[in-house]
Amino acid sequence: MGNPIIFLLLAIVAIGAAVGMLTSHNAVHSALYLVLNFVTIGVFYITLNAPFIAMVQITVYAGAIMVLFLFVIMLLGAEQLRGVTDVKGGERVHRAVAGLLAAVLLLASALLLFQSDAPEIAAAAIDTSPTALGLRLFAGYVFPFEVTGVLLLAAMIGVFVFSKTKKRGQDA
Amino acid sequence: MSEAILEAPGSGAPETLANPVEQAISALKERFPEAVVDDPRDGYSGLVVPADKLTEVALALRDDLGFDYLSSVTGVDLIEDGKLEAVYHTYSIDKGGSAVVLHVQVDRDNPVIPSLVPVWPGADFQEREAWDLLGIQFDGHPDLRRILTWDGFHGHPLRKDWKEPFYEEDTKPFGSRWPAGGVLRAEELNPYGQNVQYPAGWVPTGDEYDVETEMYAITGADLAYSIDASQQMKTDKITVNLGPQHPSTHGVFRMVVQLDGETVVDLKPVMGYLHRNHEKIGERNTFLGNIPYTDRLDYLSPISNNLGYVLAVEKLLGSVVPERAEWIRILTVELTRIANHLWAIGFLLNDLGALQTPMLYFYIERELILDFFEALTGARMMNNYMRFGGVAYDLPDEIRGQATMEFLNELVHERLPRAIEQGDNLMTHNEIVRARSIGVGVLTRKESIAYSMAGPMLRASGVNYDVRKAEPYSYYEQLDFDIPVYYNGDVYDRYKVRMDELQQSLRIVRQVLPHLQATEGAPIIDGKPSYAIRTPQPGEAYGRVENPKGELGFYVTAKRRSSSPERYHVRAPSFINLTSLGKMCQGHKVADIVVILGSIDIVLGEVDR
Amino acid sequence: MTFGQIALWGLVVGFVMSMVIITGFAYTTLLERKVLARMQARVGPNRAGYIPLPGRGGQEKKLLAGFLQPAADAVKLFFKEDPTPGKADKVVYNIAPMLAVIPAILILAVIPWAGKIPGLVPEQYSYFAIVPGLNVAVLFVLAVTSISVYGVVLAGWASNSKYAVLGGIRASAQMISYELAMSLSVLVPVMIANSMDLGVIVEAQRGGWIVFLQPVAAVIFCIAALAELQRAPFDLLEAEQELSAGFNVEYAGMRFGMFFMAEYMKMVSLSAIAATLFFGGYRGPFVDQVPVLGFVYLFVKIFIGLFLMIWIRATFPRLRYDQLMLFGWKRLLPISVINFMIVAVFIVLAQEGVFAPITRLFGF
Repeated sequence: MGNPIIFLLLAIVAIGAAVGMLTSHNAVHSALYLVLNFVTIGVFYITLNAPFIAMVQITVYAGAIMVLFLFVIMLLGAEQLRGVTDVKGGERVHRAVAGLLAAVLLLASALLLFQSDAPEIAAAAIDTSPTALGLRLFAGYVFPFEVTGVLLLAAMIGVFVFSKTKKRGQDA
Repeated sequence: MSEAILEAPGSGAPETLANPVEQAISALKERFPEAVVDDPRDGYSGLVVPADKLTEVALALRDDLGFDYLSSVTGVDLIEDGKLEAVYHTYSIDKGGSAVVLHVQVDRDNPVIPSLVPVWPGADFQEREAWDLLGIQFDGHPDLRRILTWDGFHGHPLRKDWKEPFYEEDTKPFGSRWPAGGVLRAEELNPYGQNVQYPAGWVPTGDEYDVETEMYAITGADLAYSIDASQQMKTDKITVNLGPQHPSTHGVFRMVVQLDGETVVDLKPVMGYLHRNHEKIGERNTFLGNIPYTDRLDYLSPISNNLGYVLAVEKLLGSVVPERAEWIRILTVELTRIANHLWAIGFLLNDLGALQTPMLYFYIERELILDFFEALTGARMMNNYMRFGGVAYDLPDEIRGQATMEFLNELVHERLPRAIEQGDNLMTHNEIVRARSIGVGVLTRKESIAYSMAGPMLRASGVNYDVRKAEPYSYYEQLDFDIPVYYNGDVYDRYKVRMDELQQSLRIVRQVLPHLQATEGAPIIDGKPSYAIRTPQPGEAYGRVENPKGELGFYVTAKRRSSSPERYHVRAPSFINLTSLGKMCQGHKVADIVVILGSIDIVLGEVDR
Repeated sequence: MTFGQIALWGLVVGFVMSMVIITGFAYTTLLERKVLARMQARVGPNRAGYIPLPGRGGQEKKLLAGFLQPAADAVKLFFKEDPTPGKADKVVYNIAPMLAVIPAILILAVIPWAGKIPGLVPEQYSYFAIVPGLNVAVLFVLAVTSISVYGVVLAGWASNSKYAVLGGIRASAQMISYELAMSLSVLVPVMIANSMDLGVIVEAQRGGWIVFLQPVAAVIFCIAALAELQRAPFDLLEAEQELSAGFNVEYAGMRFGMFFMAEYMKMVSLSAIAATLFFGGYRGPFVDQVPVLGFVYLFVKIFIGLFLMIWIRATFPRLRYDQLMLFGWKRLLPISVINFMIVAVFIVLAQEGVFAPITRLFGF
């Protein structure tokens, strides 16, 4: 697991970025915090001796998806989020319940993590080179992999169908 | 010619008239008896039309008589009669020849004339200019705002009773500049701060003229936050100002653009940042003293401008230009055209994003032409070369250590053709150039005529119209050359028209060179070579030339025994070609705006005047 | 070697190489200005610094005229006023130039500069790089180039200027579009060398450069790299003619300079990557005997890459935004996908021994 100090520093950055993402009022700032979070997680993977996953994480999430997010935010001019002041009474209750649930979930997962022997498993020497990973993915898990692919494709086509405008003459 | 028009209806039988102008005039008089009459003033041609009949007359001219091209709209302040006059010059694209001129006179205190924008959209900017400078109200104009002066300007400066802050005298030379032999600056007579009279009780706050809001309201009144039904997505439209400080507006020019993403929804040109009221200056100058001022209009083709102006005044003076002078005129004017087109094409490529390489390659050859001009006239750009009845200087003995004719022969037979061919090879079939310019900024044949386009803009839209052929001046009738015409009306065709015109100009120059050799030593100016101020015949004259950028017209009127023009108007091709800019840009991308503007080829000295 | 030793090694070599590249960047600007000037029949910067030589007729000849121009530029940039626009997002506005420069330097970490130089390269590695032996080096390059767009996008957004925002939007769309084609073309050498370690890819080109095996992938990579670099004819985001400078229109002083720094360093590093992937990297004649030659060969290849980029900039007009997208998605991407698949199938067929009879026929 490498150095605990490095882990602590990274964890603080990651959690801080996540909190910042949630609390910031500017959509672009939120997106930036999320990017920071993703990059930190990428570094986590490196400390876990999984550089391949780390690079993929940074390329796909920080590099491609978040750029798209930013693109959309900038194009729509939707930087400013709704303020906290215009929250209705009912919504406050909902929020409180949601917060409570999140806290319980977090606590439970933390407890589980500390009780289990997950860190030891992660630290165990697994061959994380691209070759080994590829072999494992395309030999051992080829069916789940393909199913996931088909699922994503279906989702993509679905989005395309839904967002497509109906032609004139048809019912809107 | 004015004599002929005045006499024709009374004397000659109508069916024998071959001149389309005379035919049109008699037809109009038949159709509008008593309303339309000949201009009775001495030296004036054309018709006087009452304001309420103007639209009908214009429609008849356009649809029935074939005079479908409105070249120039301007106004004249007839202060002695208490009237304002609007002057329209209409031409026939198919028949060529000279203009049917319409004069509309209205009361000076209530100058309302129906707008001709519904008939000819090309009247748009010109009517705005006439409103701005003379205060003629064009009834029914869609957007009658000031165009050359700023929106908070007070008064109409071309009216004869308008006096500017540092006003001294009505005509030059100003005696007040050297009282008792000393030189005095005008500002010393009227110190700053005492030169403006505010209305009584008026305190400036700075918010009087909220011109920007008005501007944006016009461009995007019903466009902001519209819901595009086809995409079912609320998109944000933004207004972007391209200019006045912008690298590719070719000067201090501004375009207010409404964008939907990268697509242009609407575009309004804003101009006048370089306005100096050239026409008012022209009214104070003597006829001769005006020539160097015309250099400053389209400063890339000064000699061409000179020619347009001297042609107009020569009509009033009745000068006869000696043969050698005419050949030199054609030589210099065509070389100017080459220089201008090299510049225009280079800049168009620059606007396409090709850095400056094509431009700088063309500059190498353009510099040679400028070397010739320098040796000939003493100046590389502001040449001040033409004179009434001739030219200022004969050809020099040598240029850059080479005999003149040798230099010219090398230039037109070797250097220029090589450079043009090189440019043609590099650019015409370039994939990106074609992708960027084909189908961009299209004007159809009909639109280009209606919008009063001129020059390459017109000919790229399939209109075979060139003043050199339609109403030949100088010796152009004797020369063998073609008018390049392309039919798609897009940026690429404008580029190709200019490329072909380079070849045609070279062809003309090659024919001129032997004549120059043959007439060596012949006189170059009519009569005395003194440049004394001459007073022309009273009347009006419209001199027009095919400038590189389009038809450049000078409308000059003179009073009896006056040494300066009564009215001096410039029909500036750059200015009028801009009328269609908004229309051409709609639906294209931001990047295309620059390219379309580049394809119009404007010079702000001429746009703003 | 322990973790600490590796870190120290990386720090020292990384610092030295970065300094070299930053100086190199300055001279890349001079190279660009000089070459562009020559291509445009101009002279270029020739005042700041020269070596006087006695010439004919008492006039002194000027050698290397203008070689101090980068220093003069730097001094000017450092001393310029560096205002922040009033309504800009100050934090983002200020970190954007850094976000542009950092990835540009990071890419250099994995480039193999030379073969095994005794005494300079640790025992277990076979080539000289700041971070040698990274088994995901190619992915690292892709990851870093993909985050390098943030500098530009955020600069555009934070400036609170319409030109800049348009530039930023263009940048983000362009980067995403061309990254796919670039990744797919990068995978071709990876498959051929059967490794993502750049050093191994270079060694795999011992017999011949990959560009001869796979010219299509090489061409796609070069085009996509130009687009990633936002160099002409893909320099839409700073299109001078339309957006007057695009994303950096509000910047001044050294923060403005940092964007240029990023651009030129990325030019250098992507030239190096292209050379490594397709043009034999540091390999050349006698490089096995004299490993230091590797630096020279790679430098020459980078120089050729830079020269080509400048040449292209001097020659081509710019594409329009929609044409750029169309070219990226409808031309480049399908071609690279098909090419990728063909290569994959060929490699598998070769492994299965399908081509064995043919190779035997020619006596291999």
